[in-house]
Amino acid sequence: MRRRVVVTGLGVVSAIGTNVSQFWESLISGKDGTKEITVFDASPYSNRRAAEVSGLDLGSHFSKRELRRLSRCDQFGLIAFREAWKDGRLDRDPVEKERVGVLLGAGSGGILSMERYFRDFYSGRKRVSPSLLVSYSLATTTDLITIDAGLKGPRNTTATVCSSSSVSIGVAYEMIQMGLAEVMVTGGSDSLCEVSFSGFNSLKLIDPESCKPFDKRRKGLILGEGAGILILEELEHALRRGAPIRAELLGYGICADAYHLTAPEPNGEGVERVIRSALAHAGLSPEEVDTINAHGTATPFNDISETRGIKKVFGERAKEIPISGIKSMIGHCLGSAGGIEAVATVLTIENEVIPPTIHYEVPDPLCDLNYVPNQSIKREVRIALSNSFAFGGNNACLVFGKYISNGKRRFI
Amino acid sequence: MIGKEDERVLITGLGIVSSVGIGRDEFWRSCLLGISGIKPIQRFETSSYRSQLGAELPEIDFKQWIRPSNLRRMDRIGKIMVSAVKLALEDSGMDLSREDPNRIGIAIGTGLGSSNTVDLFFRSLLKEGPTGAQPLLFQTAVPNAITSHCAIEFGIRGINLTFSHKEVSSEMAIAFAYQQLKKGRVDIMFAGGGDELSEPLYHVYSRLGVLSPGRGEGEEGMRPFDRKRNGVVLGEGGAVLVLERLGHAKQRGARIYGEICGVGCSGSTDGVLRYDLKGDSIARAMFLAANELELVDYISAAANSTPELDRAESLAIQTVFKERVKGISVSSLKSMIGEFDGAGGLRACALALTLFHKIIPPTLGTVDLDPLCELNVILEKPQKREIRSALLNGCSNGGSNLSLWFKSWS
Repeated sequence: MRRRVVVTGLGVVSAIGTNVSQFWESLISGKDGTKEITVFDASPYSNRRAAEVSGLDLGSHFSKRELRRLSRCDQFGLIAFREAWKDGRLDRDPVEKERVGVLLGAGSGGILSMERYFRDFYSGRKRVSPSLLVSYSLATTTDLITIDAGLKGPRNTTATVCSSSSVSIGVAYEMIQMGLAEVMVTGGSDSLCEVSFSGFNSLKLIDPESCKPFDKRRKGLILGEGAGILILEELEHALRRGAPIRAELLGYGICADAYHLTAPEPNGEGVERVIRSALAHAGLSPEEVDTINAHGTATPFNDISETRGIKKVFGERAKEIPISGIKSMIGHCLGSAGGIEAVATVLTIENEVIPPTIHYEVPDPLCDLNYVPNQSIKREVRIALSNSFAFGGNNACLVFGKYISNGKRRFI
Repeated sequence: MIGKEDERVLITGLGIVSSVGIGRDEFWRSCLLGISGIKPIQRFETSSYRSQLGAELPEIDFKQWIRPSNLRRMDRIGKIMVSAVKLALEDSGMDLSREDPNRIGIAIGTGLGSSNTVDLFFRSLLKEGPTGAQPLLFQTAVPNAITSHCAIEFGIRGINLTFSHKEVSSEMAIAFAYQQLKKGRVDIMFAGGGDELSEPLYHVYSRLGVLSPGRGEGEEGMRPFDRKRNGVVLGEGGAVLVLERLGHAKQRGARIYGEICGVGCSGSTDGVLRYDLKGDSIARAMFLAANELELVDYISAAANSTPELDRAESLAIQTVFKERVKGISVSSLKSMIGEFDGAGGLRACALALTLFHKIIPPTLGTVDLDPLCELNVILEKPQKREIRSALLNGCSNGGSNLSLWFKSWS
């Protein structure tokens, strides 16, 4: 018998809100987090915009010594984790720390810190402090969160970049399935850095002004940053401690296009397979899906192949399913994209409001579905998907559902 | 406890690209002869460092395994990993064209994947500004590019995952692959990992004080459990195992190296660069992995020649096996292949060969056991013995510990 896995805590840091309630408010009111970049010197670039996190009072979260050592990615991760931990009442309820694990997704990780170090080092500045080097590993944020709360369960980090934290949520789910943990802290954290920015810029994948998913005028993505953390918990464990249950994670799919290093498979065949695999894992049929949180990067190719994939799964009904492209507001947060979008998906189910795709003005005949243009809509959501796709054709899809206490879930 | 027959997960192919041999046979010969891959580093200048050693791969002609048109889009570590998959596939005798590509998956563990490519990209960016950012380098610089290369090369369309968690990256990849097979979401998994040495990586480890000979005096080198050990020597390489479900393996008459029967994971929280200090977390991982501890005869240790980890792991093994500890053979492969985040693939291949041939490779470099590491460590010469089952321990700095339980196949 499969164990049921529920979401009992959420935490978020993003350009449009540095806690869950602020984030949600901004999300449903269609706020754009895009601004001029300040975290690195973007003046040599013709594009200088990203969904950068601002307005965080770091001093209230960390000591001066911690701030010297923690990368920006670590800071976001820890802040979102502490919010989720508290939200799940895990700061108050006694839990066996051996049964609580951490599985995060990473993207650029602490590269921002490494950039600073190696910039100085290569330019010949002699005594560069090694304190920045603690961020050398993509696992550092995961380790820091674990240490922060003294968690002694399983721990690892996924590194598929743009789909990392969706994938990590799937792996965390499996940790609970395997009986290796009762509670898993999952999601991801990532920060802007020049390496990723210049890389996407060199691939001509960045829109100079804003991210316009599924709109005919779209020119590419806007990079973002932040953290999205979820507490996953085995249902009986959550019930025993009377935890607030915000949604159920019903299943997930992970697959590969096996097509190209950067371009998605153009016909959406990989998208179709990953959604079908996730639905089969959850024991659901396509008819039961109420909304989709799209990957929707606003690169010309992604949006077409994602649309095609969705149509292949849902057929005629595809046009009726509200599809949100929230990267239009939070940007593409790479290693934390899937985590933040999973948080948004859980909130969608909980609040029965579907966030919009903003900057949507000119329909593209190749993207002809209901993308919830510019205004959020109120609707009961029982089942919601969250898509994430990465370079190399690494696809992931998560299936969240409203928690039904005695709900009959069909398991394969 | 062994699960239902169709849930059993077998090792049926090994692909090895290592500093001590390319391919299964060359690698295994080196393991038994006690040949170390550790030598003075050739690929970059080490004169400004206190350390000079590394376990580097020899020059390899990748054209034997990869078509030239495909080679062009891969960087060095990409070629290493694709070659490892190719070798594993050949070793397994499987014909992929007869399999459903959606039921084949891959899980790879690595530190940074293409760390040389990241460095090249960054240096060019520093030198020339935005126009120095090279798109072709960027697309292979992401850590999952190595896994994607493999998926594209072999048409692997099922589960595709890349883990990066310090020294337990590949162990996790194998654990996840095992779990997916057990659950029946796939029929075949390629699992393992790899890394390449690069100067920035060497620099980071050196400045963090991880590399032998550490901050103190003493001879540079790797000697797990030895009284005179003084740090890590970095290595590189890639290795992939073919894992499949019993029914599938039987149907095609596969040769079976061994079976994976369990996973245990745990964490310690002693510090972001510290290993488990007390060893209780490592012990817990072993407890969770092996349902029948009394069947364990051998442990492929994570011990990497840092005093902290060697002692904690020794303590953990003593705690778990109590009076039986003397009867349990222990060795560490790391003094042969060097330490790196994706080393778990190679270590798992060595363990599969150990079970298959019933011979345990020795712990190179170790002569004088630390009294705090009182274990039956196999030194100098390989040990021939019956091995009913074995544990593969993975321990990372920061404190993630993972044990895999392997059984002999009979």
